[in-house]
Amino acid sequence: MPFGYLRIELLRMLRNKRYIIFVGAFPVIFYMINANLWGTQTIEGGVKADVFLMVSMGAYGALAASMMSTAVPWAQERQSGWLRQLQVTPLPNATIILTKLVSALMLVLPALLLVILAAVLTQGVSLTAGQWAALIPAMWLGTIPFAALGLVIGSLLPVDTAQPVAMLSMFALALLGGLWFPPEVMPATMKEIADVLPSFSYADIGWHLVSGEAVPPSDAVKVVIWAVVLGALAVFGYRRAVTRA
Amino acid sequence: MEAIAFTDVSKSYGDVLAVDGLDLSVRAGTTVALLGPNGAGKSTSVNMLLGLLRPTRGRVEVLGRSPDEAVARGEVGAMLQSGELIPELTVRETVDFVRRLYPDPLDLDEILAMADLAGLAKRRAGKLSEGQAQRVRFAMAVAGAPELLLLDEPTAAMDVESRLRFWAGMRDYAARGRTVLFATHYLQEADENSDRVVVIARGGVVADGTAAEIKAGVGGQAVHFTLGRQPAAGLDALPGVTAVGIQAGAATLQTTDADATVAALYRGTSLEVRDLRIAGADLEEAFLTLTRES
Ligand SMILES: Nc1ncnc2c1ncn2[C@@H]1O[C@H](COP(=O)(O)OP(=O)(O)OP(=O)(O)O)[C@@H](O)[C@H]1O
Ligand SMILES: [Mg+2]
Repeated sequence: MPFGYLRIELLRMLRNKRYIIFVGAFPVIFYMINANLWGTQTIEGGVKADVFLMVSMGAYGALAASMMSTAVPWAQERQSGWLRQLQVTPLPNATIILTKLVSALMLVLPALLLVILAAVLTQGVSLTAGQWAALIPAMWLGTIPFAALGLVIGSLLPVDTAQPVAMLSMFALALLGGLWFPPEVMPATMKEIADVLPSFSYADIGWHLVSGEAVPPSDAVKVVIWAVVLGALAVFGYRRAVTRA
Repeated sequence: MEAIAFTDVSKSYGDVLAVDGLDLSVRAGTTVALLGPNGAGKSTSVNMLLGLLRPTRGRVEVLGRSPDEAVARGEVGAMLQSGELIPELTVRETVDFVRRLYPDPLDLDEILAMADLAGLAKRRAGKLSEGQAQRVRFAMAVAGAPELLLLDEPTAAMDVESRLRFWAGMRDYAARGRTVLFATHYLQEADENSDRVVVIARGGVVADGTAAEIKAGVGGQAVHFTLGRQPAAGLDALPGVTAVGIQAGAATLQTTDADATVAALYRGTSLEVRDLRIAGADLEEAFLTLTRES
């Protein structure tokens, strides 16, 4: 993979103010507000709310990073002719989409770590080394379905549709996945929806890890299935986007 | 060696025939202008050379290979008719990124100088004027030191001064023995910057030669008169006539021999000729006659 391409992809997202506010600032701010309101309460399973919230808001930041760095920028590049300019260089098509995916994953990491850092520094959250070692990679790689979804949206829709669709999908995934309100307080139908969404299974893995419980295998299976399905759709969408007439 | 070879190439979009049986080859090391009006098929032809479009019929070869192969090997550089930059990246970052994709690129400072960008290297692309962005796209096209450079209406957004510097940069690049093909609407641009001018209209070649030959061919004189509703059939067969243009009842005959044409017009036809006028052919007008829909 040409390192230079990955580098400019990261650079330009990190210089985008809207992105930084949505992905860098919002999750941390939400975390601080919520942790200060409910942080000391203990929720079922005996885990403290500020730890539970760290997973919720970390998941939200990671979700936002993976979708905002893919859908709209990608739709824009297709429409503005930037992609065509890349296609007349020696950069292979497969490398382009792969780099997009890798750069989205690289951008997830700081978004996730910022919330964790806020939790550790301001709320004194502490986990065992084993818990951290499981939590961070799980919450990092668990964003593959969302990055793939972003690429699907960016490949199939024009910019002015991709923008609202990406936003709506992101908020729906966050809300229905229980990242903003714990699924326990949801009405029954919403819970059923949450149960099939990748965002819920994704966060649920994290919630189990911080409570020191075993991760339900169904969560992991669901995330993997979503990753495979959305990944395949992303490849299909990408093929369509670069097909030569 | 042929740098470019179109062999009986046609391209249609649905029922629009954009390129119609194009045969064209360009020897390596020459600079060729592809001159034609809107919709002539210039961009379609250029995009087929880049593998961005597939011909409906016929074969396109670039440096003896398929366009895809030539592009993958970094032997082709191109400035497409339109295309935006990534607004958050600086000029230097953008050009350097592209040059590193090629196996044997030019030196970065050399590229920036050739595209007249040295003073803008640190500016973000989102803050460039259109003409400046156009220069960045030229820099991206030459960055990889390609054998074949394709430029689709490269000066479209530039002012007079930028155009002059742009063409100087292009000639500088061509002087390294590279092949350059550029598309343009302007006869003068084609004339001043190429070894050979290929005039295309309606998807096919209508004239091909050095700028001087094209001028001589379409030069001569022009006979104007009012035709009204009378039929135009046979006008193109009059002695000396090289092209016939009819617009709103006004006929323009491009001719190499105005005397013979006028004599034959009066004696050899039964037309009622009014408002006859003979003028030295205006080059632009001659070009228009050559490419106008018949
Ligand atoms: N994607 C497309 N779908 C349908 N028709 C098209 C498409 N692209 C081009 N055409 C048609 O094909 C013909 C040739 O277009 P092309 O863009 O090659 O012309 P051009 O010589 O580059 O013109 P211009 O000087 O305006 O850039 C035109 O009639 C145009 O309308
Ligand atoms: Mg064009």
